[in-house]
Amino acid sequence: MVSSYFLYPLSDEGEQIVRQQGSLENLFLEDKDLMDLVIHTKSQNISNDSYIPKSLAEYTLKRVEWYVRKKYDKEYEHNDYAFLLNPELEIYDVISFYIAAQSIGINFNPNSRESRVFIESQGQLIQERLETLSKTLREETIAKLLNQLIAADNLHWTSLAELLGSKKINLSHLIIDKGQIILDKKDFLDRFEHKIEDRIPEKMYDILIGDKIKELIVNRMIMQNTENYISKVHEMVSNVEAHPSLIQIGAKISKTLTENYSYSSNQGGDIKASKFQVEAFPPCIQNTMDGVSAGNRNDAIVLLMTSFLSYARLYPSVFKNKADLKISDLDKGLKITTTEILPLIYEAAQNCNPPLFEDDPQEKLNITAKLGFGVHETPELDKEGESKWYTPMSCEKIKIHLPVLCQPDENCKKIGNPLSYYNLKKWLMKQSMTNQQTENTKKSEGN
Amino acid sequence: MNKREFGFDHLGRGPNDRYRVFKNSDLLRKFLRYRAPFAVYSSVAFYKKPWKRGEWLKSELVFDVDAKDLPVRSCNCDSVCEICLDEALQIVGSIIDVLKEDLGLKNVHVIYSGRGYHIRVLDPAAMQLNSEVRSQILKYVSGAFNPKNRYYMESLPGQKPYELEHFTIPVGYSAVFTDRIKYIILHLTGEEEIDQINPRLLKDVMQNRHFLEEEKWGLFKNKIGPRRYKNLVDGIAKLNLGLVDAKVSIDLKRILRLPTSLHSKVSMKCMKVDNIENFDPLKEAVPKFVRERKEF
Repeated sequence: MVSSYFLYPLSDEGEQIVRQQGSLENLFLEDKDLMDLVIHTKSQNISNDSYIPKSLAEYTLKRVEWYVRKKYDKEYEHNDYAFLLNPELEIYDVISFYIAAQSIGINFNPNSRESRVFIESQGQLIQERLETLSKTLREETIAKLLNQLIAADNLHWTSLAELLGSKKINLSHLIIDKGQIILDKKDFLDRFEHKIEDRIPEKMYDILIGDKIKELIVNRMIMQNTENYISKVHEMVSNVEAHPSLIQIGAKISKTLTENYSYSSNQGGDIKASKFQVEAFPPCIQNTMDGVSAGNRNDAIVLLMTSFLSYARLYPSVFKNKADLKISDLDKGLKITTTEILPLIYEAAQNCNPPLFEDDPQEKLNITAKLGFGVHETPELDKEGESKWYTPMSCEKIKIHLPVLCQPDENCKKIGNPLSYYNLKKWLMKQSMTNQQTENTKKSEGN
Repeated sequence: MNKREFGFDHLGRGPNDRYRVFKNSDLLRKFLRYRAPFAVYSSVAFYKKPWKRGEWLKSELVFDVDAKDLPVRSCNCDSVCEICLDEALQIVGSIIDVLKEDLGLKNVHVIYSGRGYHIRVLDPAAMQLNSEVRSQILKYVSGAFNPKNRYYMESLPGQKPYELEHFTIPVGYSAVFTDRIKYIILHLTGEEEIDQINPRLLKDVMQNRHFLEEEKWGLFKNKIGPRRYKNLVDGIAKLNLGLVDAKVSIDLKRILRLPTSLHSKVSMKCMKVDNIENFDPLKEAVPKFVRERKEF
């Protein structure tokens, strides 16, 4: 049986281990036992010294590096990080979890990419650690974790509101009856057997629910609790002096992310960032540029325009690359942001009826927040990470929030996001220009 | 009552007087008599400081089904009529079924708004939910996306998926989706222009939809063809989002027409519907002064 704290470090047992054995004094000291366990992990690549974490601090950084490389680096090799799945390292792992979470909570905002990457990495680690277990052991482990995470026998769907609200889980993934999330086979059969025709009800349960949904809930709840823990640390940091080692590790985590993102992003990716081509904007953005009337203007400017224009100008390949970049990764001194992006957003705000900032001046602060610089009048580098840089709204979301702006044309049928429209239209315009040039060359050669 | 924001329309052009608060219904009554507004609204939200919409406490979960804006109406009238109001009420009934039977929500009320219906949920479990969760509920109850049709038994890599169409799964979101698709197909007039559904496909749907009345989905899908069937349900899923005014459901600070007030543009009473089975707005929501007009 794998210890539950190897999957859920925030469990009571995990907390106890940290209380008894977690010390911040020797984080950077070489730990022979740790190295020995890593080297003797089955399939672990030991061909290069750099694959072996030599201290708890290095183990903590490897945890983050593993996730970013696995996600973005085409040359990623599982055996370089096989030790992360070794339960013999569980005590080190739990302590390193707390070191990373506290370092991130102290140094960064709960919305920062450092927080998000760490939370996602915990979810991925749980998944991979579960995959190493036999079916029975996996079921037992999940049942034990579920009991720890959910106090009541019956799970009402609204008790997962936090997971639903942060999009870690989707309502449609769950089978719900009279408000209860159905997880148990007998319960499923009691409620639905009479409705199922032409199929074996037991098999229907296995297909729709089985262990998958339980694992999904456990996984996402642990991710959510990790997020809450980071937020708690972040709130406390103003009252308690942070340990210098944690500040140092926070900086190293951030550096690890920046270095490893270069595997995929290459500063903007395949679809290159370039000056705005207003004529390639989709109809919803063109309509917003022309001005929006009261009722829709706040959402149109703050949610739609801000995210669209910032990504269109700086990071048009975000949906292809998926690397979690900050504006300053792409616009180091924020020159493009302040001289090209914000003026266009403000112009659209001025075109609204009535002009947005005349009666809602605080929306300037919300625009800054949506760019990832917290609730401030203008974006400043030292405030970056106080909020999240919002990705452009999807067409589906625009239809919900701003249906009046959605007047699709032919190209809209091919895309699901205004940013994809912009990339497509730019490409089509470029193609048409190239064809035109070729034709002109042929004509002039003919003459 | 004193935790809600009230709004008024004094000029007949929409709410122009907001952030009003009343300690009790007597004070509201006096205000209405004195100012005689065109329309009265109250917030779905409860605030600690409603006079500045400050310190939000909770909001009703709301679904606005407007007969005029239904994506498919068999009446083709210009505004609203008996037929589309009845269709709106059918949709309201099916949404309430999902809210109660699937999601287990209680304290669900229906208000006739003058041109359609508001479903207002005052279940404490739902009132704290944020906009994202409300958006998910909205998509769930309206059948706004085609559910996945590939399922894996275990979370293990390299498995072959089981392919199950929505109509073979009689539980959860798939069952809701099947119900909504069926409703739309059976209410098509054949004249509609729907994204992803070309005229030939629409014609074939009209010819074969009788299979759905007998729940013969497999036969229906065979007649349409698997590829075209996907286009059909994807196209209808997008339409389904229009069954309910999505903006109203996700807006935590919305003001809605006050039940018992008058919809001045259509001269109908906004009123609570006690029994949706036999509610007839053209009988029950017509104010006395309209009924007494000679031409009525």
